[in-house]
This record gives sequence, C-alpha cells and structure tokens, in this order.
Amino acid sequence: MPTVPPRPKTLISAVMITALALLLSGCAAVTDDAKPTSTAATCTDAPADPLADFVVAKNPRALVGPATACLSGDAIPVPPVSPTPQLPVTVTDNQGTAVTVTDASRILALDLSGTLAATVFALGLGDNVVGRDTSTGFGQAKRLPEVTRGGHQLSAEAILELHPTVVLTDTSIGPWDVLLQLRQAGIPVVVLTPDRSLANVTTIVTQVAAALGVPDSGATLDASLAARIAATKAKIASIAPTKNRLRVLFLYVRGNANVYYVFGKESGADDLITSLGATDVAAQVGITGMRPVTAESLVQAAPDVILVMTKGLESTGGVDGLLKAVPAVAATPAGENRRIVDMSDYEILSFGPRTPEVLAALARALYAS
Amino acid sequence: MSAVVAQGVSVVIDGTPILDGVDFDAHAGEVHALIGPNGAGKSTLLAAIAGDQPTSTGTIEIDGRDLSAWRLRDLARRRAVLLQQSGVFFPFTVRQVVEMGRAPWLGTADDRLDGEVVAWALETTDIVELAGRQVPSLSGGERARAALARVLAQRTGILMLDEPTAALDLGHQEEVLTVARDRADAGDAVVVVLHDLTQAAAYSDRVTLIDEGRVVASGPPRQVLTAARLTATYRYPVEVLDHPITGAMLIGPIRPHKEKS
Amino acid sequence: MRLRRTLLFSGLGLGLVVATVVSAGSGQLTIAPGQVLGALLHPLGLPAGVLPVDQTAQSALWAIRFPRVVLALLVGAALAASGLLMQAVFGNPLAEPGVIGVSSGAAVGAASTIVFGWSFLGDWTIGALAFASGLAATLLVYLVSRSGGRTEVVTLVLTGIAVNAVTQAGLALLLFFGDTQAREQIVFWQLGSLNGALWRDVLVVAPVALVGIVISLTLSRRLDLLSLGERSARHLGVNVEALRIGTIVLVALLVAVAVAFTGVISFVGLVIPHLMRMIIGPAHLPLLIASVLGGALLLEVADLVARTAVPFADLPIGMLTALVGGPFFFWLLRRTRRRSGGWA
Repeated sequence: MPTVPPRPKTLISAVMITALALLLSGCAAVTDDAKPTSTAATCTDAPADPLADFVVAKNPRALVGPATACLSGDAIPVPPVSPTPQLPVTVTDNQGTAVTVTDASRILALDLSGTLAATVFALGLGDNVVGRDTSTGFGQAKRLPEVTRGGHQLSAEAILELHPTVVLTDTSIGPWDVLLQLRQAGIPVVVLTPDRSLANVTTIVTQVAAALGVPDSGATLDASLAARIAATKAKIASIAPTKNRLRVLFLYVRGNANVYYVFGKESGADDLITSLGATDVAAQVGITGMRPVTAESLVQAAPDVILVMTKGLESTGGVDGLLKAVPAVAATPAGENRRIVDMSDYEILSFGPRTPEVLAALARALYAS
Repeated sequence: MSAVVAQGVSVVIDGTPILDGVDFDAHAGEVHALIGPNGAGKSTLLAAIAGDQPTSTGTIEIDGRDLSAWRLRDLARRRAVLLQQSGVFFPFTVRQVVEMGRAPWLGTADDRLDGEVVAWALETTDIVELAGRQVPSLSGGERARAALARVLAQRTGILMLDEPTAALDLGHQEEVLTVARDRADAGDAVVVVLHDLTQAAAYSDRVTLIDEGRVVASGPPRQVLTAARLTATYRYPVEVLDHPITGAMLIGPIRPHKEKS
Repeated sequence: MRLRRTLLFSGLGLGLVVATVVSAGSGQLTIAPGQVLGALLHPLGLPAGVLPVDQTAQSALWAIRFPRVVLALLVGAALAASGLLMQAVFGNPLAEPGVIGVSSGAAVGAASTIVFGWSFLGDWTIGALAFASGLAATLLVYLVSRSGGRTEVVTLVLTGIAVNAVTQAGLALLLFFGDTQAREQIVFWQLGSLNGALWRDVLVVAPVALVGIVISLTLSRRLDLLSLGERSARHLGVNVEALRIGTIVLVALLVAVAVAFTGVISFVGLVIPHLMRMIIGPAHLPLLIASVLGGALLLEVADLVARTAVPFADLPIGMLTALVGGPFFFWLLRRTRRRSGGWA
C-alpha cells in the first residue's frame, strides 16, 4: 500500500477516475453481485443504428420529458477472424517501463471503466480473456469471473489463480503494490494511459494492440473507429441546429451521499457534448475538471438538457427525485422541461470501441422528437 | 555528620509560598518526627528532603553532599521514602511489590541478599500470609503495610515516612512505629510525619513543629510539646499530661467537661 | 504462576509456528503444500529432494505470499509491544497508542504523500513521511503536555485528544483536495491492509520492530517500578521523565513503522497485552514476551482470513481486528469490573 503509481498530470484521468470511482465505491464494496450491472433496464428495444430513421425534432429546445440513450444489445462487435498475436513483443508502457509480452493466451484487461476489456474483445482476442473487472458486463464477458471485487483492493493471489500471461491495466485500479507483486511474480503488467476522451479512443486501441502483438488488427480497428466516429459526428452535425445550439450540462449525481459534481473542460464530458453538436455549458462558464455544484451557478448557466449516468439517476430516485434533491436543477430550463438524458454509467464516458454508437445513441436522445 | 541537613529551605508552588526558610536535620540512630497542623508544609518538607520537590532557596544535603549532586540510583540506595498513597496500577502481588524495593541493589553485591531481605521485611510488617495476594485487592491498611515492607526491603540508612499510620488500626499503628523505633536503634536515621502528638512524643527522639511553612520549635519532645505552644500552633486548646504510671507524655485536645447529674 | 507462564509461552509459541506454516501454505492461489515447502527450501539452498518446484509458483510465493506472512508477524508483534508500553507509561490498562496521536499523525503524513503525489524518496516516500509525521505528532503531544519538567498523564491524554482532532481535520482537508483515487487509497489505508506487502517493506519494518522490542525488554524492570507511581519509582532510582520520553518515542517508532506500511490496525495493542496480563500477571518482562508472541499470532491469523475469506477480494484487516477486538474488549471490561480493584 505505501507506493503511489506515477500518475499523468492531465485532468481527464483524474476526473474520469473520480467519476467512476465515486460510483463504484458507492456500490457496496462487498456485494456478492455476480451479475454485471452495466445494461440499462429500459433499453431493451434500442435500434441497431440509433441515427437511422428517426424524426428530428424541429426545435430540440422545446422537447419535453426525459430520455435514455441506449445501445442496442450488449455485445461488442468483433472481427470475423481472430488475429494471431505476433509475439514476443516489447512495449514501453505509459510509465516508461519496458515490458515484454511472450504469451497472450490468457489476458486480463482491468480498469475502472471497462474500456480496456472492451478494446481487447473488439480486437478479436476476446476468447483469450480470463477475467473481468466490475465495469465490464457486455454479453461476451458476462461469464468471466469478476476480479476486482473489492473495488480497489486487488488480490494478487486470486489473480494468479487465473494464471494470466499478460495483464493490461491503467492506474485506476489498485493497490499499486499488488501490480508490482504481479510483475515480481513474473507476469508482464502493461500500464496504459488512464485518460479517457474522444481523442484517445484510437490511442488506447493502438496501445492495447501493440501490447498484445496484434498491431495490424489495431490499425484496422483504429481506422474503422476513426471513420465511424467521424461519420457519426458528421451525421450529428447535420442534425444539430447550428444556431441556438442545445445547452447541455453533464452532472454527476449520487443520491444518498449528497454528491453532485459538474464535469467541465478536459473531463471528457466536454468533448462528448461538443461532438454532439451542443454547447458545453460547464466549459462556457469556465469549469475545468470536476467541481461540486453551486446552486446559483447552475441556475445562471441555464442548461437545456442535463446529462447524467443511469445508476446515478436511479440513486436519486429518478427524475422526480433529482428535481427534489437539487432544487437548482428544477430552476433550469432542463429541469422545467424535465429534459434529463441518462445513459449507462459504463458507456457514457468510457470512450472505448463502442464510442461511435454511444455518440449516436446520445444524439438520438437529444434530438429525436 | 548528619544524614540529612536542610538549611534555609523555601518552597514556592504556583506562586504560593509553602515553606519559608526552614532548617531541619536528622542523624543516624534517631527518630525525628515532623508535626504540625494541616497545610503547615510537613509533607512538602519531606518531599523536599527526599529530592522530589525543587526548592527556591536553601540547601539540602544528604551525607554532607548536596542533593543535586546525588545520582538517582545512589540516592535510592541511601534513602527510602514511604508515601501516603500506596496503590499500584497493576495487580502485582505483595511479594512482587516488596521485591521492587530491592531494585536499587540490582547488579550490586547486595542483591544476593534479596530473598532474605524480602522475607524479613514481610515478617517485620506482619504480612507474610498476604504475600501471594494482589495488592489492589487488599484493604487500605494492608496496602500500607505492604508499602512499608517495600520501603524496609530497600535497606537504606535513611527512612522518610509520610504519615505511615494514617490508614492503620491502633494495633498496627503501634507496630509500625515500633519498627521505626527499632530501625533507628539499629542505626538508621528515621524522619516521620505524624499527626498524633502522643505517638510523636512516645516514639521520637526529636520533634520539629511546623506551622504555616515555618519552624515553630525543634528539639526533644518534652521541650517542644508544651501545652501553651501547641494550643497556639493548633489554634485549639491542647493539654499535655503525664501518664500516671509510666510518666509518658499524653497529649490531646481539651474537651468541654459535661456535668453529669 | 511458573506453570502458567510456561504453558502460555509454549502454547503461544506452538500456535505461532502452526499459524505461520498454515498461513504460508494457504491463499487464493492454489499451491500444493509440498510445492510451498519446496519453494521455501530451494532458494535457501537446502536440498528438498523430491519436492517439485514450479517456477511460477515459486516466484509467486516469494513475491506475494511470503513477504506478507512475515510482515504480519512483525506488525503484530510491534503493535502488541507498543500497546503494552503505552499502558505501562500511563499506568492504565486501557491506554493505547492512538491516544498520543501516533496513528493519526502518521495518517496525515501518508495522506499528504498520496494526495500531492510526492515521490522525492521514490518508493520510500510514503513510509518515511508517515513515520516522520507520526513521530512529530507524538513529540508535539509530549512537549505541549509537559510543565516544570514533568508530564501529567491526564494532560498527556487531553493533549493527545486535541492533536488527534487537528490531525483528523487535516486528514479531512486532504481527502477533500484529493482526487478519488487518492481518497480510495487513503480510506483503505485507514482501515489497514497487508495487501501488496513487498520484501522492501519487510526490510524496513523488521530491524525497527526487532530493535524496538529488544529495547523494550531492557526497560521491563523499570516499567514494573513505574506501577508504584511516579514518585515512588523515582525513589527507587528510576529516572521517570527519561523513561517516559524514551518509552513514548519507542512507542511512536513501533507504531509509525507498522502504520506506515499497513495502515491503521486497531485493537491489537489494546487487547493482546490486556489478555496476557490477565493470564500471567503484570510483571513486564514475561508480559512483553507473551504480548509479542500473541500479537504476531493474532495478526497472522487475521491476515489469513483477510486474504482468503472472500474470493477475489482482500478484506481490510483493521476491520477484522476491530470486529473481533471490540466485543472482546467489552467482555473484558465487564469481567474486570467484577474483580476488586478493577485493574486486573
């Protein structure tokens, strides 16, 4: 426990880590929940392409009522043929450590947001994954044993029991000493960037692919992702109004602990909102990173739509509960029109391989009539 | 050379003068009693000569050497002190507590006498049958005797006893004072703070009467303990009589005589 | 009493050996006992004959399990010894090191390192800072509560409470400033855990703990005399003030070195010495030995539970010791109230 991993200075990681860590630490540390909790209960009939045939609202600002941004199904799209890792490979990880991976047949990809595991599957190496973290619950991974039970108290022995041949992680899960122990026990541990943002989506894919010896698959996935993201952004740009853009605010809520934060610049939320063709109110007001809500500034900002995480919203008692718990929200146009848009906690800011779909789903929630 | 010599000792505690220019001495082979009303400063004087209480003026010498020049360990081999509080924080047995009195002799030639000395101390204070009992479970008087046994086991030439009779019944009071007398006869210097003036007269060679931090009188009991002086000091009528048979001094308050019809 | 002591020492000694062996052989990584033995003996150069040794298992054991088993023994011993010393200095069987601000002082040092990301001493930074701040807090408490060259026990306790309050506020401030990863780390550190124990940690804790315990053994006779009261102890030749300072510094050292690496683990220093005193009496030399053995045994067993009870999880050990120690302490209190004197 006494060491601290070298942490990158950017805010995104801090904010991202904060958000999901707050979330996950709120979930009881010892719940014996084997069921993954990432699928939203109300998202059973989401269309495969959220941006195909929906009616664009003429005036998105006039829309009333909450909406949930849904991903269709919970499976990660995988390539038809699994790639063969070209090993051994030596990579310099995010901390400057040279790590040599000789065997990618038993992979553990663990991070706070589930991004790394999703990326491994998207690269076609899902069959090699032997365990999952708490945030990973998509279809193909449901059956895997949950390794990060206690939130942030990894058990080195339990991990070794799975006999992994390579561990991919960032610094969002700990304790750091346990990862050091794994290294000392001879397991290659590759530490990737903990930053999560739109710009980093392809970087993460590249890093994961490099570490697993499938750089070509990584390049292919990168290209495909970049293209799909660009296409989605373009589609959204054509839908979103150019004048009178929607004013959107990302709010982190967790009901019982009275915890409310606004996510601003460099938090990933900013990136997201801007790509949705909306104005990030928090950035406009000058908020960087994560800040506790000040009631008056919230009212001043007057957002049209408030983005929240699904579980967070549930914990405040739904939209009604949220409006009661944070009166400042009720005093905004978003509150008055009950325009609260929620999305699964594990997808909305994870910026993994399903990023294009996430953008599309959110756009649908924002702009569909 | 006197064992204990205090000259011009003044003690100020929290700005309040407790002792003012007190002279006191005790030599080997005598029992020297310190008497006086409550708050006179008897215990403070005892604390000063024991080395517990710093003085603001004056000197205190043990065996002709200034108190401050004595190393703690050496002092522990020269003088033993019995305080009024005799409890222990943990449930040590009586034997263990008496054995603690031998601590200053650890590592010297004398420590082979430990067993003997402890046995003698237990006998002398009449607590042999209590040896295995835990001190906190004893009565006040029994604890006081155990503490005395510890002090005796220390086998020092100077004994300083602060009201050793306080918690004891009549019989045990006499026993304790007899022990003090015997030790003095064997060559020790014994300083004892007492409240009971008859006991002081009976057992001591010299008494020093203290009032309000000053020495009122010092010398043999007959010389110091006069009715007039005692009445003035204690601010209460005191009479001094002679025992009709032994001639010993009997000192007590004058109580109003009630006519019986 | 002789008999009791012998029985207790043998019992504890045997229990300790058994617990250590079982602990070394158990864990969430399944390794056959023969392999464990082989892994232990091979690197030490002892011929283990036919015992099979799987290379991964061997490195796993030496990197993960063995340092933890050893650290549990050391920390348990150090905490128990420090508890006993504290009780001797305060003349009170209910005293425990937390009172004088060591644990919370160390917490502030460690939390600062985590929140501000300091690493000027590399891996040693957090340990060194926790150590330094724990010691500083203790000395502060001691110096503030001294007057006229003496230290009243009650003043010491009250000053400790004040310092604890300030360090708690400092900790709250650090938690506020920290990002959530820092917060998580700090919270788990406050609950205590031996997870992630490395040989590097053992190499720091071992010499300090062992030297500290040996010094405590040499102080035992003087601590016995301290039970007679400050003045009486002085009359018997004990330099009470020096003994007190020395003991308190010793306590701070033992606790800080444990806390710096494993977080705050409570109740070991309170319950173990008390329990041992009930069995073999208050003489400090045998009591210290018994407490050291008992503390090591307790923590070894507690850590075994902490790392094997829940699959894929590692329970905070401080929680376990408190869960067991708390009710046990209540029982102790009830029992001793019935006895005369109440100190038994």
